[in-house]
This record gives sequence, structure tokens and C-alpha cells, in this order.
Amino acid sequence: MDDVTEAEGLLEFLYAAPVGLVQIDMSGDIAMINPHAMKHLLPLAQGRDPGNLFAMLDRCAPELRNMLEAFEPSRGSVCDGHRIMVDLAPPTDGADPKVLACTVVKLDAERAIACLSDVTLQVAQERRLKQAETWFASLLNDVNDYAVLSVTADGLIDAANASWTKQSGYSCDAAVGRSMADLFDRTAGAGAIAVCEQLRLAARDGWHLAEDWHERLDGSRYWCQRLLAARTAPEGDLTGYTLVLRDVRRDSQDAHDLRRLLTEDHLTGAANRARFQHVLDRELKTWRETGAPLSLLMIDLDHFKQVNDDYGHLAGDAVLRGFAETVAAAIRPTDLLARLGGEEFAVLLPATPLEEARSIANELRTLIEDMRTVSGPHRIAVTASFGCAVASGQDVLARADEALYVAKRSGRNCVQAARPAAIAA
Amino acid sequence: METSVVTIAQLSFDTIDLAELEAMAEGERDGLPFGVVGVDHQGTTQVYNRTEAAMAGLDRESVLGSGFFETVAQCMNNFMVAQRFEDEPTLDEIIPYVLTLRMRPTRVRLRLLARAGAPLRFILIER
Repeated sequence: MDDVTEAEGLLEFLYAAPVGLVQIDMSGDIAMINPHAMKHLLPLAQGRDPGNLFAMLDRCAPELRNMLEAFEPSRGSVCDGHRIMVDLAPPTDGADPKVLACTVVKLDAERAIACLSDVTLQVAQERRLKQAETWFASLLNDVNDYAVLSVTADGLIDAANASWTKQSGYSCDAAVGRSMADLFDRTAGAGAIAVCEQLRLAARDGWHLAEDWHERLDGSRYWCQRLLAARTAPEGDLTGYTLVLRDVRRDSQDAHDLRRLLTEDHLTGAANRARFQHVLDRELKTWRETGAPLSLLMIDLDHFKQVNDDYGHLAGDAVLRGFAETVAAAIRPTDLLARLGGEEFAVLLPATPLEEARSIANELRTLIEDMRTVSGPHRIAVTASFGCAVASGQDVLARADEALYVAKRSGRNCVQAARPAAIAA
Repeated sequence: METSVVTIAQLSFDTIDLAELEAMAEGERDGLPFGVVGVDHQGTTQVYNRTEAAMAGLDRESVLGSGFFETVAQCMNNFMVAQRFEDEPTLDEIIPYVLTLRMRPTRVRLRLLARAGAPLRFILIER
């Protein structure tokens, strides 16, 4: 009787635990799972096998399978608090986009335990605090770390302090007279806001914070945090800007690795969901403020499950890597390729009207069609379907998705574009 | 005794209605071959039949009076089940679902039953 009571007590404990627990084998098949875990996972499964953790997470965290596979030690922590961005855009009911944190521990060669918790609120709070933190961090740091440039209302540099030379290698004379855009736009990473836009935002809001790569005179790069503050005359007219620069990373491999881990998809090197969400959000803001057309491609590899079934997961992974390499090499530096799900990708195309997006999509479609992935004795050919949409006040993600669905339905290996008017009609 | 057994056999998962469930005595609901859970408008478990207790591996007495969606059935505490009772005062729908009975993923059919003004909402669980 005591054994029964104890077993019931343990079950009650696991049923009520406010955190998700899942025990899996190396292929993700679930041996045990508690209700809290299923509460979060089942809505994500969308018809995929609810008996397999990786299948249920494939749409929004395909990297977990690769992370466990790539973990060589026989036991230990595979990831700790790894974030799973469930919603790419804020839900229509005004709630914060859902985020789960996932910790995976490998127990032995056959078993791993995953722990899932909902960190939506923490992430939303972090986001709200981040700008303030960045601001305070730059205030509290040693004054010697600052490089200060003075910028005219037209965006030309008219003075620089000694720290500027220390930080960037450029002499003060070499900077003065050049435009800020000339110094900073060239080395900016994909998805960065152009300097002219930063100047406009700073003039409007009083200040603008940015973080990006900057190249020193000797060609080496550093991660640079920039505060651009507008200077105004007492009557309110813009007289110029003060640009404060901080070298916030010391080119360490650790920092680079950490950044990659946080922004890149583990398998393909494309941007991950978190990075995509961040850049999409920012590009939509730019679109609202400037009206420059913002296009989005949603891409899905056709019959990808068949590739996995016929040639195995490793071959499937090689196809995904080949796809990402091919697309990344073909798009412009300002475009952003992201992996959104198992075989689902997106390309964000700033300053691109729909017609141009459609022709880019067609070029990519041809490249993918011609691509061959070598896996053992096989040369695997795949095709992809494309949905394009341009930001127009309605949800650009949903409309690109809808166009993708049409492309899938009309035979795959094709491009479909959603026109706001056509959708509304 | 005989007649009551026959009656119960005819009350199937798909056809039994809310009024019949409400009218049944605890012992009769225990005799049904599927799980029966009744939850009031505060989310408190008021009905938990023997079939369901056996499938879940729990003691009925410890479940009765507890918050169903918090302590026993968190896996239903999402927009697919719990939220529907909040949004739809009258509801009769069968959905395929996956529960974690005794921590094993288990495919089941759920039947969600609610009627405006009724004190209890019922969830039927068929393995």
C-alpha cells in the first residue's frame, strides 16, 4: 500500500510540476514526458509525430537535433537555457511573442533529458531593458574607452578625439572631412541600418543607439557600440551630432562564438529565428518610417521528408547546408537569409519592390534546381517553392506564407507572389 | 443491477450527452469505459471517474477539489482545450489529442462538452 501511495505521490508531483520534462533517445523518441512539456509541444507539432521531440520542435527549433548529434561526450550538458522563438511576430491578441527555454543533458549514449520552460515574460522584459542597459553600460565604462567624433548636420565628420585613433587606427586628420556614411556603411554587417537613416532617427528622437562591426585602418574588425546624439541650438534647430564609439568586444574567439551561437542556425549558418525576428522587426520599423519597399521570400524545400527517408538525416542535413550556401552566395550583403524551421527558410529583402523580389526568387529557384548534393554514392537533386510578399500594412509574414502555400499547391518548384490587392479581393 | 449495466453499455463516448452525465451517480460514471472529468467554472475538479484515475495512475480523492488544468492536466491548459471552454459557452466537439498518462505520450480522443448555464464542463477521454 505504501508503494502505491509513493508511486501516486511521484506521479502527482510530475503531473503538477510547473516545468516541462522529457526523456528521449538520440533520435528524439520520447520515453517519458510530463504534462507541462506536452502543453507547450503539442500546439507546435501541427500533425507531426507527437511521440518524437525533434519532430514536434522541427518547425521552430530544428537545431536541437543537430546540437545533440554534434555533442560528442558520452554525457553532459548539451545546451543550457537555449531559446526557442515560437512566435516570429507578436501574436494578434497583443501578447508578447512566445519564447521557450530549453536545457538538454545527455545522460549516456542512448538517453537525454530535456527541460522546457516558458520564458516569454522574461524575454519581453529583457527587450524593454536592453536599450536602457546599453545606455548605462556606455555611461559607466572607463572614459578612456570612448572615441568621440563630432559630426555636422550634413553627416560630415568635423572633429575626433585621441581615443578615436587608439580604437580605429585612423588618425584624426584622416577622419575629418569624410562623411560618416563613408566610414561606417562600408563595413556594416547584413541587416544594419544605413548611416543616413541613423542620422535621421537621431535628429528625430534626440539620439540613436547602434551596434555593428567596424573596420580598423589595418583591416581588422571590432564590434562597435555607437551612440549618435543630436546637438540642437536653444531654439531647437539641429546643429550637428556627437558620435560616441565603444569597442565592446576584443575580437576574442569566445565572443565571436557566443554571437554565432545566439544569432546563427547551428546546422546551416543562416540566421536563426531569434535573429530573423529581430531584423524583421527593425526593417518593418524602417519601412514604416521611410516607405522604402521591404520584401520577404518564404522558401520551403519540396518533398524534403522524402530526402530524409530515402537517404537518411545526414544527407538531408547536407542538402540543407548546400541550400543555405547557395542562397547566401546569391543574395546581396544587405539581404538576410534565415532558417525558420526544418526545411523552411526566409530571405528578407530591404529596399526591394515586389517585382524585383519575384525575379530574385526565380533566380534562386533555378540555382536550387541545378544544385546537386553529393552524399555517399548519391547525387541528390532538390527543388524549392517560393512565396513573396511586400510589406503593406498587413502581416507580411502571413502573406508570404500564403503565397508559399499557393506555390506548393500549384505543383511546387515555382514562385508565387502575394499582392495586397489580390489578397483583399 | 442487470438493467443498469445494459444502460451504461449503450452510453458510448460519441453519443452520451451532458444531461446524461450530470444525471448519473458517481458509481455509474465509474462504470463507463472512458475517462470522465467534470470541472466547474473556477477550474476545480468536481468529477473524476475511476476509469480516468486508473489511466492516469492517480488517487481520485487527491484529484477531486484540485485545480484540474494546473495539477493534473497541464497538457490541456492551452488554446486547444482549456481556452475553448472559456471562449465557447456551448461546446460539443471531439478532438484527437496527446496526453501524458503516467508520463507516456498517449494518443487519445477528447470530447469537450459544455452548455451555457451548466455548473460543470465535462471532458471525456478515450484511449
